[in-house]
Amino acid sequence: MAYESEADERTTTESGTSGLAGAKRRLGITEDQSNLAGLLFVAPNVAVFSVFLLGPVLYAFYLAFTEYSMLTHESTWVGLDNFWTVLTPWPWENGFEPLRDPGANTWWFSLRNTAIYAIGTVPLQIYGGLAIALMLDKRVRAKSAYRAAYFMPVMLSGAASAVIWRWLLADNGIINEFLSPLGLAHNWAGDPNTALGAIMLLAIWGGIGFNMILFLAGLQNVPQELYEASRIDGASAWQRFRHVTWPNLGNTNFFVIVMAIIGAFQVFGIALVFEEGGPYYATTTAVLRIYQRAFEENYFGEGAAMAMILFAIIFAFSYWQYRYRKSEEVDY
Amino acid sequence: MARSNYEYPGYERDGATYWTKTAVLYAVVTAGALWMTLPFWWTITSAFSANPTSAEVTFVPAEFTVQNFLELWNRDNIPLVRWFINTIIFAGAVTIFNLVFDSLAGYALAKVDFWGRDKLFLAFISTMMIPGMITLIPVYLILVELGWTNTYQGLILPMAASPFGIFLLRQHFKSLPSSLGDAAKIDGCGEFRTFYHVYLPLAKPALAALGIFTFMGAWNNFEWPVIVMTETQNFTLPVALFAVRNQYFAETGLMMAVALIIVAPVIIAFLSAQKYFIRGMSLSGMKG
Repeated sequence: MAYESEADERTTTESGTSGLAGAKRRLGITEDQSNLAGLLFVAPNVAVFSVFLLGPVLYAFYLAFTEYSMLTHESTWVGLDNFWTVLTPWPWENGFEPLRDPGANTWWFSLRNTAIYAIGTVPLQIYGGLAIALMLDKRVRAKSAYRAAYFMPVMLSGAASAVIWRWLLADNGIINEFLSPLGLAHNWAGDPNTALGAIMLLAIWGGIGFNMILFLAGLQNVPQELYEASRIDGASAWQRFRHVTWPNLGNTNFFVIVMAIIGAFQVFGIALVFEEGGPYYATTTAVLRIYQRAFEENYFGEGAAMAMILFAIIFAFSYWQYRYRKSEEVDY
Repeated sequence: MARSNYEYPGYERDGATYWTKTAVLYAVVTAGALWMTLPFWWTITSAFSANPTSAEVTFVPAEFTVQNFLELWNRDNIPLVRWFINTIIFAGAVTIFNLVFDSLAGYALAKVDFWGRDKLFLAFISTMMIPGMITLIPVYLILVELGWTNTYQGLILPMAASPFGIFLLRQHFKSLPSSLGDAAKIDGCGEFRTFYHVYLPLAKPALAALGIFTFMGAWNNFEWPVIVMTETQNFTLPVALFAVRNQYFAETGLMMAVALIIVAPVIIAFLSAQKYFIRGMSLSGMKG
């Protein structure tokens, strides 16, 4: 056949196909050619990932055990010193002082802030998003307008939403304009007791629409005949939700929860812009602390050690979620 | 096909309970929607009033003025145009790199039968689990070694590929029939021409979704540029907003004008292509 001639083989020099081996043979494509083509196609990505992702992860492990000097650009091995410096005094020492006073141990205090932030925002973002999705999925008119309204904050730069909310919540800001007739005006961003709450408020504002969209998509995948069947069996609205909607959202749920937790543990941009971690470290989150220690104070080794500790915490949470989800999986 | 589970036979649409429920439902979703949208309105009213106090901008600007924008334009230590150009270059270059690199890799992982392909795909996917914060310090130090801090290449290249983009495009190419490629090869196309002339045009919807999200993500990105770009003329807009917020916090109108410059293009793009954004977002959500 014509395409088995030598002339045609030249035109298919770097060929390969996911078709049958027989087809490949007839096309004159060798395994080597497929290998070469495939590797050339993935080469740019492999290069970028090696230099800026995998290499740096290994480098981060090394850095955590060294002290890096910005003057000489050299790192000296210091063993576990960075971890020691970062972790002591332990949070339970002096009647849990490091959890109350950032001056005692800023890292533990920032982890405490991160934990409060995660506990406060993750459930509200997720179940708030689910509640809105359920409401919009029903008999609301102008559904797409509502959906757009809830989704708009998601499109915002964290820096922009932090600046906007910093103004709204300022001492002389618009929120207080509404609250002062009620006698509730307060310097929300300037008070160490409420500043973290203010950041959580803006994080929930920016995150709820994202989860709403994911749940709206997830709801499309719930088989409608199950609703019909449960209705015929006389299930109440709550029973339908608990036994039909909820189990069928399993995958969406898992994904949304893991993403939200990972995101919450890594929050730093909004905290930096909102009040630069202040007042008195009240809004210094874990990654913001890493940023301060490494990029403002130039203790890169300690920053890397903190990043390792946080990485371990994030990994543990993701793994726990994964195991939990396995035990929750449903079959029909 | 009926979507709503209230449209099945036997569901009561009449009666006081139904109307109460509906009223409560609307009250709740409307209150939520106001919470979501009012900050945008207040951004606009504040940006268009001269040095606003809260009472003046609560509902409409006291006096409508573009003074804040003129001020931004005229102040010597606010290189607004430069910031805008920086942001466009950053977001544009990151988007182009991602589309090119990710479509090449996505295609090969879906349609080229090469050694180690599935293991490589798994490796790419696993990198999605690496939290970004762990690489911040080492990547920055690599840039310091290369002398690439405060440069475009230092800002752009570390963002040039994304495992998510590879995954999205690989799934899309996989959904296209292999017979198209076989036919092209019988006609004498090499692997690259098969990719470029046959499959790539069919991937336009996925490329558009990925392109929009990559561009928007880079446009909004604050955490990465704030580390790499430390000199005023190198800032991207979100970093510039942070600097303006620190320096001119008392001048609320000025601050909100910068915020509006960042926010407005994104919101306008979103409102004019809403369906597209939302479909892309649900796609991205399904990656787990």
